[in-house]
Amino acid sequence: MNITDSSEIIKKLAEEKEKFSRDIKEVSSSEDVYKLKVRYIGAKSFIISTLGSVGSLPAQIRPVVGRETNIVKKEIEAVLEQKEKYFKSLQFDLDLRKEKIDISLPGRKMPAGKKHIISAVIEEIEDIFIGMGFEIAEGPEVETDYYNFEALNTPADHPARSLHDTFFISEDTLLRTHTSPVQIRYMEKNKPPIYIIVPGKVYRKDYDISHTPMFTQIEGLVVDKTINFGNLKWMLEKFVHEIFGKERKVRFRPHYFPFTEPSAEVDVSCDICAGSGCRTCGGSGWLEILGAGMVDPNLYRYVNYDPEEVNGFAFGMGIERICMLKYGINDIRLFYENDLRFIDQF
Amino acid sequence: MKVTLNWLKEFLDLGNRGINPAEIASMLTMSGTEVKKIEYTGEKFKNIVVGKIIDFKQHPNADKLSVCQVDSGTGLLNIVCGANNFSKNDKVALALEGAVTSQGLKIGKSKLRGEISEGMMCSEYELGFSDESEGIMILSSSCTVGQGFAESLGIDDVVFELEITPNRPDCLNVAGIAREISVLADIPLKERDYDAEERLNNDKDYEIEIKDYTLCPRYCAKIFKDIPKIESPEWLKNRLIMCDYRPIDLIVDITNYVMHEVGQPLHAFDADLLYSNKIIIRTAKSGEKIRSIDDSIRNLKEDMLVIADEKKPVAIAGVMGGKDTEINTSTKNVLLESANFYGPSIMRTSSALGLRSEASNRFEKKLDPGLTLIAIKRFEELLSEITGTKFAGTIYDNYKKTARTRTIGLRLDKVKSVLGTEIEAAQISRILSGLGIKTKIKSAEFAENIKSDIIAAEIPSFRFEDLEREIDLIEEIARIYGFEKFVSAPPAALLRGGKYSFFQKTLRQLRQLLCDSGFYEVINYSFTGAQWLQKVKTASEDQYSSAVKIINPINEEFEYLRTSPLPLMVKNAVNNINHDVRNIRIFEITKVYKRLEDKKLPEEKTVLGVLISGKSWLKSWNENEKAFDFFDLKGVLELLYSRFYGSTPAFEISGREFKFFHPAVSAEIIAGKTAAGIIGKIHPLIIEDLDILQDIFYMELDLEVFIKNSGRQLKFKPIPQFPAIVIDIAIVVDKDAKNSEIVNEIEKSGTSLLKEVKLFDIYVGRQVEEGKKSIAYSLTFRDDLRTLKDTEVDIIVKRIVQNLGRKFGAKLRQ
Ligand SMILES: [Zn+2]
Repeated sequence: MNITDSSEIIKKLAEEKEKFSRDIKEVSSSEDVYKLKVRYIGAKSFIISTLGSVGSLPAQIRPVVGRETNIVKKEIEAVLEQKEKYFKSLQFDLDLRKEKIDISLPGRKMPAGKKHIISAVIEEIEDIFIGMGFEIAEGPEVETDYYNFEALNTPADHPARSLHDTFFISEDTLLRTHTSPVQIRYMEKNKPPIYIIVPGKVYRKDYDISHTPMFTQIEGLVVDKTINFGNLKWMLEKFVHEIFGKERKVRFRPHYFPFTEPSAEVDVSCDICAGSGCRTCGGSGWLEILGAGMVDPNLYRYVNYDPEEVNGFAFGMGIERICMLKYGINDIRLFYENDLRFIDQF
Repeated sequence: MKVTLNWLKEFLDLGNRGINPAEIASMLTMSGTEVKKIEYTGEKFKNIVVGKIIDFKQHPNADKLSVCQVDSGTGLLNIVCGANNFSKNDKVALALEGAVTSQGLKIGKSKLRGEISEGMMCSEYELGFSDESEGIMILSSSCTVGQGFAESLGIDDVVFELEITPNRPDCLNVAGIAREISVLADIPLKERDYDAEERLNNDKDYEIEIKDYTLCPRYCAKIFKDIPKIESPEWLKNRLIMCDYRPIDLIVDITNYVMHEVGQPLHAFDADLLYSNKIIIRTAKSGEKIRSIDDSIRNLKEDMLVIADEKKPVAIAGVMGGKDTEINTSTKNVLLESANFYGPSIMRTSSALGLRSEASNRFEKKLDPGLTLIAIKRFEELLSEITGTKFAGTIYDNYKKTARTRTIGLRLDKVKSVLGTEIEAAQISRILSGLGIKTKIKSAEFAENIKSDIIAAEIPSFRFEDLEREIDLIEEIARIYGFEKFVSAPPAALLRGGKYSFFQKTLRQLRQLLCDSGFYEVINYSFTGAQWLQKVKTASEDQYSSAVKIINPINEEFEYLRTSPLPLMVKNAVNNINHDVRNIRIFEITKVYKRLEDKKLPEEKTVLGVLISGKSWLKSWNENEKAFDFFDLKGVLELLYSRFYGSTPAFEISGREFKFFHPAVSAEIIAGKTAAGIIGKIHPLIIEDLDILQDIFYMELDLEVFIKNSGRQLKFKPIPQFPAIVIDIAIVVDKDAKNSEIVNEIEKSGTSLLKEVKLFDIYVGRQVEEGKKSIAYSLTFRDDLRTLKDTEVDIIVKRIVQNLGRKFGAKLRQ
């Protein structure tokens, strides 16, 4: 070629570009794109051969031809690349769709266990009282007669003893029948103010649908300079509302316990009949859940407190009963059969 | 205890006032006498009246039916009836429209085979008196036509079922409950007018000798001669039945009636069956026996109080009478006992004999000796009324009187400090006097050292036992005033921080960690029995020889306190497997108990038991199943130590055989130098014996040891800046060579640049020599200050291999 004028080449370039613009509209696959690539910027294409022969062109047109050809080449390249990406992503998308799984298949099981319902409820109750400034105290389950009965105002001939069917280890050691001995043990070692709760296993000789020989109690004891019956009411109302819900009513009914005076049984309104009376609440509209009362001043003598200087209250509840009421469990023995189909429900 | 409204009304001066049973019940409940149930006994007989059969004829269209003309008191009704056990003028229970039979059948007008029937004549079955009956019920001719059926039988009443707390023996009777209602509802009591006290009479017909006035402070008796033989009247029987007594005969029925009414147990002897006219109240002699009324021979002990004639005991005082002197069909003359016995003695006797009665239940709570005379007089009154006979003679009364009144000073400011609410002196006086306590208000000047006004309260004999102190009076005031009136208020000093102890906190974290790792918590009874312990071969282990034994267990499976969670947890596993729940991860946190020779109380220790059995992974559509093995359990142990002690293992396990473990998979967990627990595989023979088809792995940790020593020293370590070099080596060693020892040796030779040793493969098979195994570790080297060179690591690895060769004969595997 012996060209001295660049206009011929420039014109040809414009034609190529236009042709390409037309052709590119027709492509419908990566293969089509490849074909255009070969045709327009392949080794034998006009653009590439033009570029290859730039060196042999006259010096005055060399820069123009070189620049213009390169611009067109880049433009074509850019469009091709864009098209190529487009078709690739289209294909990729199609390929992904082929990796179809049945998302309705079950997930892979992570092992997950559960706390025993008794533990879970104890922890819940502990948290409520910790929030009110209590600590958790503990004591032995095998107790002496002294702590279990005598120091709790229940000497040997006391009629209230017949209410407890006690397991004996020896003549004067036994399985504690309640968590109350910890009251005495704690007061012996500590001075007021005392704000404690005592969760633990207790034992009575009874075995039927509503009694197990071992069950769980939480005891509470508060002793401070100015503690009165109104404070007892406040605290237990707060507790009941936390554990059963704000809408439940609380009722304090006079009762008798040897180591509190005055003593009360605490009822919560029945949620099944909303207080109108049903089988669960025996028609009364109330469910008994707690025993409570002001600490009998006699107890202070056993622990060397001055009954004129302090007042206190104590309360106790059966965890199984609370669970049964809360979750509608009808047989207390289920708690200790450890059937995993039971434990898994809570 | 049950009381009826009509009975109570005999004690309450209602005037024109009506009385609402539900209100009374609520007042009683809210003052400490809980009403468990109210039964309207007349309710079920609503619209049933006394009718009189005026005439009857054969039903024109049915052979077995009659058409009767029955007077209902308000008119003649046409009644079709299928029975034939009646005649003209018989009185019957006539169910009118609206009545409901005890089977729930509603009565209305109907037509039976063309004849109108305007009601029904009831049988005992339809009235609910018996389970089956033939014919209709024929009533006594004295019944008034038109009167309500229940009313005519004296059962139109309201029965309150009460729970009386053991501190209130004065409420174990109708009169006592009436007194409570009187103060609660402000209804005056009707005074019962009996003569003033009588002393032992002088005629010597009878002699009563009390050996010990502590055990028997008072013994009253009276002879009733020639008692007419009649049956108890219906009203008496019905009242007793309503209050859960079984009518027996007139004398026994009246003694029960009086006991229920005034609270004093009575006992009637057939006077002619007593040996002589002398009654001795004494303790039993050694070897003495008595046949009690329930027809069993009772062996008496020397501390038991008995009533005796001059030959033998005739009653166990306050508990039960003797068969030989019991009232019977030929009894003519009765010696009636009304005595007071010492409560604790009665309680001991009744519990030693396993014999509880209405009488012993009252005596053991300590009764007022003042009741004895009232009761005997009431008995006489009723007996005379019912039999229409006057009985001669006076009451024998042997009584060693002791003071039974006291005055208690009640400070008004103490009332407020206990109850939190101020109650006015006048109100307090009103409450106390309603309870039979006389009061006098004294101002502060009354006594020195006392700042507030005080009320002097004079306690009557019938509350002498339970009202001893100021606080007892405060309780009485509080329960009558009403608990609901006390204002709830937070404690004045409530501003404290509550907290868990370290032990409690750690225990909670431990429980949570195990649950989150897939374990279910179980809680077992603290009891176990020899039979099961032998079955799981734990009985022979040392720990069980020091088990705490219960003297009076529920049964032999509840005889010992557990010394390990193992036996019952294995039982849990077996029970669940038998219920087809076969893949088990469970743990228990519990106390175990050990008898200590030199201590009164046993040692109580908190331990953790962990048990796995079955599959750790279940086969599913995308997963192969995997059975639990020993290393699953050891992984749990490692998790616990790493979580609570930090990353380096703070324990080792060393082989030690236990009878209940597989001899080759049985180990002790040692932390520091202390034994902290055991781990192993339950012995295959036990598994076979338990009749299950899967292995069980069990581990136990002493939590006192574990938690006490736990706690991580947390300190920041810089994140490594320089790359690590990881070299894998595989060596061939003897089959028995221990991993822990090899790792130890690697770490020793590895210098401080060796940061981690990880076992990743063990191979036994054709490619290694017989008796050898190939074991492969991945070693991570790093310097925290610079980038390591391969060459320096190679030198260290070479040394490690050399040392392993020397120590274990290890060869690098090619
Ligand atoms: Zn209800």
